[in-house]
Amino acid sequence: MRMPDKKGYFGDFGGRFIPETLSFCLRELEESYFKFKKDKRSLRELDFYLKEYAGRPTPLYFAGKLSEYLGIKVYLKREDLLHTGAHKINNTLGQIFLARHMGKKRIIAETGAGQHGVATATVAARFGFKCDVYMGEEDMRRQKTNVFKMEILGANVFPVRSGSKTLKDACNEAIRDWVTNVKDTYYLLGSVVGPHPYPLIVRDFQSVIGKEARSQIIKKENRLPDYLVACVGGGSNAIGLFHPFFDDKKVKNIGVEAGGLGLSSLNCASLIKGKVGILHGAKSFLLQDEFGQIKATHSIAAGLDYPGVGPEHSFYKRIKKACYVAVSDKEALHGFKMLSKLEGIIPALEPSHALYYLKKIAKKNKGSLVILCLSGRGDKDLDIVREKRGKIKDKDKG
Amino acid sequence: MGKIENKFRELKAKKKKAFIVYIPFGFPSISLSGKIITSLDKSGVDFIEVGFPFSDPLADGTIIQKATQISLKNGVNPDYFFAGLEKLKSKVKAPLIILTYYNPVYMLGLKKFLKKSKDAGVGGIMIVDLPIEEAGNYIKEAQKYELDTIFFVTPATEFERAQKIMKLCRGFVYYVSVTGITGPKDFFIKSVLEHIKRLKSCTDIAICVGFGIHNREQVRKLTKESDGIIVGSAIVKYIDDHYQEKNFLNMLSTYVKGFQE
Ligand SMILES: Cc1ncc(COP(=O)(O)O)c(C=O)c1O
Repeated sequence: MRMPDKKGYFGDFGGRFIPETLSFCLRELEESYFKFKKDKRSLRELDFYLKEYAGRPTPLYFAGKLSEYLGIKVYLKREDLLHTGAHKINNTLGQIFLARHMGKKRIIAETGAGQHGVATATVAARFGFKCDVYMGEEDMRRQKTNVFKMEILGANVFPVRSGSKTLKDACNEAIRDWVTNVKDTYYLLGSVVGPHPYPLIVRDFQSVIGKEARSQIIKKENRLPDYLVACVGGGSNAIGLFHPFFDDKKVKNIGVEAGGLGLSSLNCASLIKGKVGILHGAKSFLLQDEFGQIKATHSIAAGLDYPGVGPEHSFYKRIKKACYVAVSDKEALHGFKMLSKLEGIIPALEPSHALYYLKKIAKKNKGSLVILCLSGRGDKDLDIVREKRGKIKDKDKG
Repeated sequence: MGKIENKFRELKAKKKKAFIVYIPFGFPSISLSGKIITSLDKSGVDFIEVGFPFSDPLADGTIIQKATQISLKNGVNPDYFFAGLEKLKSKVKAPLIILTYYNPVYMLGLKKFLKKSKDAGVGGIMIVDLPIEEAGNYIKEAQKYELDTIFFVTPATEFERAQKIMKLCRGFVYYVSVTGITGPKDFFIKSVLEHIKRLKSCTDIAICVGFGIHNREQVRKLTKESDGIIVGSAIVKYIDDHYQEKNFLNMLSTYVKGFQE
């Protein structure tokens, strides 16, 4: 069966739980998207920009030294090499053409790590849209470089001071803006979350990751991988990798959530520790208390710091199509250093979570063939890592 | 016939329009919000919308966001909430309507939420983020408990869809004056009136207007076509600004009456 269904459900998950004011524009978006997908000229143009502007296809790089160190065969899908430094541009390019197709003039977006914000500001600059980005104050502090980049690109960055001052609150604020300016504004959502049709649209645009990886691995290894591994915030880079392998029954999907300070403390492991609920327009696993109030979260990676997750991942979990695990802040830092030292590639803190999990796979299944989605590069995280290293060193001295 | 419909009949006989007030439960404190509700009832408010708080109220502006945070900080949960309403049941004449978001309802369990609402003497329910497409089960269950389901129609709702929504409304239709979030605002009243007039031509159910209303002038104009008006943020802000004053409940009563003169 094709997923999602007409009402935007992946099994029990997804749907469209939104204030009435947004109903019209979501139906309009859905209709335009289906038209857009059949419009050969637009698709050709998108292809062109993915290739010439963003830098696709990205290499599927055999990480020889890391493989030797771990005792498994690791290929990295190098989304970190894309323009703006992460997979987010696959989606923002797709959606900016959609926004143009719909005749919208203004783009709004939420951002956590700032990667989606930068990727949105980039395409808005290139294609001539006014761009306003909502970002939690806490995230603006920890991802300063990206705030500056967005400003250079001509976007306004609005600090969000409500709630935990992170991604969830930036989403709330973007939705409030959208409800208010629904006529001329296009909401460019950054992950496979939100009301239908966003989880579908973002998954389709990110599926280029898995499509390329699948044909690349067959060319290089003449077989399918044993494992696909990716970090899961909202889940767009992960579903982008997993989806094109959906019918490959033997390939195991592993989604790595942010374990933060630990699974019994503050974390962002919605699929592991959450309960089903409704947030930002969709039914999915959610970190919430027994009364349905959304819980505070924490991750060292701003891009994973979100209490919810895309509905398609909830569906994957329910049908056991993927296995979801958690990696803590500390372990992610370990993953970060491991890749930097062994391969000369500095990863973003988000995929550093996935990188650490390779050690667990290596322990269980020596010799297995793994594709890991290296969703972004680490430039944006240097301050955070420096700060943490400082703390560790101070402790050593003390 | 439900409590809400009854009340509208009464009002109609007196040639009066409904004056509806929104109060977040547990704000500024659990005990004071009970007193506020009783006092509003005495001041001649026709219906009281009682807000059950949700941590992420994405259709609300800063005033109600703040009140929601305070109400959650005060520990409001379903037990406190329904116990609070139960206590008001015998004291308050104005039908109570619950306004909330879907997640807390879903977590408690839809049936349980409706049963508790019924037991607490509530007349109707509004769930901000439950549009008609997702509301099939909710409508069915609410009917079993004889609770009115109130849905929203907005300036962005197409006419055909509005007709569909109005057919699913019991009690009244909530017409949202502006595309936007809650909070005091001046908006273009003429187009609201035209829209309501058109909607009234194809339904018998009462239509009340809310969102943004903050002065007597707006009320006067809007009641020309609508069957009632709903004031939320303006009153929440008034409470926030004045609740520590000695004469607060009397002041609030005077303030609220000022809308109705
Ligand atoms: C590099 C990188 N990876 C992953 C993510 C998480 O998003 P998603 O789970 O949608 O891929 C982000 C989000 O900002 C990111 O910047």
